[in-house]
Amino acid sequence: MLRVGIDVGGTHTDAVLLDGDDVVASAKALTSDDVVSGILNALEAILSERPGAETSIEAVMLGTTQFTNAVIERRELSEVAAIRIAAPSGRGLPPKIGWPEDISRCLGENNYTIRGGYLYDGWPLAELDDSEVRAVVDDLRRKKVTAIAIASAFSPMNPEPELLLEKVIRAALPDSHITLSHKLGRLGLLERENAALLNASLLSFADRVVSSFVSVIRQRGLKCRFFVSQNDGTLMDAEFARRYPALTFASGPTNSLRGACKLTGLDNAIVVDIGGTTSDIGVLRDGFPRESNVVIEVGGVRTNFRMPDILAIGLGGGSLVEAGGSKVGPRSVGHRLVKESLAFGGGTLTATDIVVASGHASIGDVSRVSAVDPGTVATATKTIMATLNLAIEKMKPSSDPLPVVLVGGGAVLVTEKLKTASEMLRPAHADVANAIGAAIAQIGGEKERLVSYDKTARKAAIAAITAEATDIAVAAGAELSTIHVADIEETAMSYMSGRTTRVRVKVVGEIAGLSMPEAARVAR
Amino acid sequence: MKLTADSLEDLSTGAVFLATGGGGDPYVSYLATRRVLEEFGPAELISVDELDDDAYVAAIGAVGAPSVSLELLPSVDDAAIALAVFERHVGRKVDAVISFEIGGGNSMIPIMAAASRGVPVVNGDGMGRALPEAQMMTYPIAGVLPTPAIGLDYAGNIVTFSTDTTATYERHVRSMAQVMAGMITTVEHPMTGQQVKASVVPGTISFSIEIGRILREHRGNAQRIYQPLREAFARSLYGDLFHIYTGKVVDHASSVIGGYDIGEAVIESFDSDASQLRISIKNEYLVARIGDQVVASVPDLIVMLDYETSMPINAERLRYGQRVTVYGVGCPSFYRTANAMAVVAPRCFGFDFDFVPIEDLTHAHRPLPQLKGR
Repeated sequence: MLRVGIDVGGTHTDAVLLDGDDVVASAKALTSDDVVSGILNALEAILSERPGAETSIEAVMLGTTQFTNAVIERRELSEVAAIRIAAPSGRGLPPKIGWPEDISRCLGENNYTIRGGYLYDGWPLAELDDSEVRAVVDDLRRKKVTAIAIASAFSPMNPEPELLLEKVIRAALPDSHITLSHKLGRLGLLERENAALLNASLLSFADRVVSSFVSVIRQRGLKCRFFVSQNDGTLMDAEFARRYPALTFASGPTNSLRGACKLTGLDNAIVVDIGGTTSDIGVLRDGFPRESNVVIEVGGVRTNFRMPDILAIGLGGGSLVEAGGSKVGPRSVGHRLVKESLAFGGGTLTATDIVVASGHASIGDVSRVSAVDPGTVATATKTIMATLNLAIEKMKPSSDPLPVVLVGGGAVLVTEKLKTASEMLRPAHADVANAIGAAIAQIGGEKERLVSYDKTARKAAIAAITAEATDIAVAAGAELSTIHVADIEETAMSYMSGRTTRVRVKVVGEIAGLSMPEAARVAR
Repeated sequence: MKLTADSLEDLSTGAVFLATGGGGDPYVSYLATRRVLEEFGPAELISVDELDDDAYVAAIGAVGAPSVSLELLPSVDDAAIALAVFERHVGRKVDAVISFEIGGGNSMIPIMAAASRGVPVVNGDGMGRALPEAQMMTYPIAGVLPTPAIGLDYAGNIVTFSTDTTATYERHVRSMAQVMAGMITTVEHPMTGQQVKASVVPGTISFSIEIGRILREHRGNAQRIYQPLREAFARSLYGDLFHIYTGKVVDHASSVIGGYDIGEAVIESFDSDASQLRISIKNEYLVARIGDQVVASVPDLIVMLDYETSMPINAERLRYGQRVTVYGVGCPSFYRTANAMAVVAPRCFGFDFDFVPIEDLTHAHRPLPQLKGR
């Protein structure tokens, strides 16, 4: 079975062609302003290595940082109406409170709070008021705002108010693009509402981007299915990506970790992605990135997104070597490495020059680093190794020895065995790990709910939530027979009676209709 | 002294530090309080000494499930309405408001009441930390009665309390909070200035701000924060601060028993040379043990910080794999008196050992491992 993985990054667009587990071809192209020609160039390069492959390719998976960058750079964001259904609670805390002013301005001053929603125990917070709803609809019509985010209190438990309002607005304003907060996750009204707002503001951009992705793939003669990778290493289909662009926010580091998993066959490992300026250290747990614990801000906005736990340290191939080698980084020459480092005829001593001087790599002109003091080379090597060892030590999930996978162009910096690693792996094709990660992504589904274990037996409650998560995954394109539970999280609610517990279940499965190797069907 | 919006972020961080795992996430309360101070101007923060002996003071805060406020957002006028309702109920104005719990979001509510109603807020509270039950407050321990008291929910529904004992009050207020949307604002424990002086843990609002400021200014890992924090606590009415443990959360299990979050967290050191640290939880972090040895216990404070950022972590946010540093701090001396011990000693929480002050648990004084920071 042939699959194509594409990673559209800020600088490079990478593409790989996979035949089952084998990397048949890989290519790097510069990301173009229109994105399309960059993808086309990378595709062309890999397809030329397997003529006629177009007809036997079963799926194309694409990862992109376009939507994250749009939020961070405050561009391509549409004006959005925020409708919160939670009055009379939260008086004085309107939607977008606590946002940086520039991005708040991008979305406009269209904030509504109306009566409705539910309490933790299922009792109505307030009744939805028809005249209030009508007033909002009239105002939206007058202002011609078409992107809308709706959030109601406790909607992860009971989404009915959000669904009802969506129906009313669609009937009155058929051109509107609506994001409902309960589709984006867990309890935490402000964070969930923020996520819905960012998503709604990206809908128009997403429509264009996804359309151009689809058209470039069709243009190149590929008639197969097309997927976009999301934050947690799973996939969504093109239509889902059009509606939930915000779910791609952390797909970059996720794909790099998943790609390392595929290239090495390891489900549990530390992955060190060494670039020109930084090293990103992440943890693979059962084949998926370990998630972060802290509240995630995207472009300064608090969200409830699941993101991989990444420790970024200022050490890369372009890091400046100072103080006789006792200081390496965080300052870096970055992409000017090919001009400013000693090996490339420049005047700056970088981490790459140390590796060249110690004879572990021949990059640039080796003779240019011969004057570097051997003492400095030894000290700098020690500093690099100590910095990486310490960072890995901090990220290790337990004291059990774990293999370390080195990926990225800066992986040559590691010239000795890392003492924190049980073994060190430098897989082939590590430079296109992101695209490989996109190619092997799975389909996931997640559901979170508050339940009383006194009213519903624990086992039955978890089974019901698992069934809902499974429905979500199947709706997103997963093959039912391959779905297994990846994570169950229970949080007891303090002070509440009836053993009230917050239960979150995440399931993953293979893409429906793909012929997967037997091993991939076995639940972990 | 004027308390302005500029101090709120530090107060919020410091209050989570002193909450020892409980108290809930104060982010929403912080946003609401900032709004109130922007609208009404700064709150008047007075020291305990500035209170007249015959001043009429009431404690104000929220009672209920902290997680409920994630969805049922507080309103910026809740505190002002609750205070007005209380004054109508008792038929007189209060001269000042006071916090019943500095730990978490309850550090903020008295400030909102003070700013919007134009009364001073006393720099101090009734716990010096967070604790799960009403009778564990310094006010009732010193003999102050909890009622007359009122409770207000998000929609303006009101309940009044008149109970003969603190234990009955705790039972009633807990039940009402559960049926009134899971979280209510209460005004309770009316007392005289003299009673405040005899029972309050003084200076805790300004001390929280100081702790928050230290965490912000020395932003970085637990290594960098240790010395400045130690010095701040050495100057305070708390006891000394000790490093107990640094490692990774390898297990966190809890379940609700009797209306409380009961559980345990297990932390393993980075190098795994040392034995694991086990922390028992009842809403707050109550007891820390290494092997069979107790290294810190309630009423002394057990504080858990994210190792990388030194931000304090609430028990409900504790996650598997999180890298943490655990500190122990001697509690304010009030809690070491016989009267206080009768309601806050480890045995009151069902533990089978007597309280030993953290400074006497000499094995707790382990140095912070020399991990180099970023």
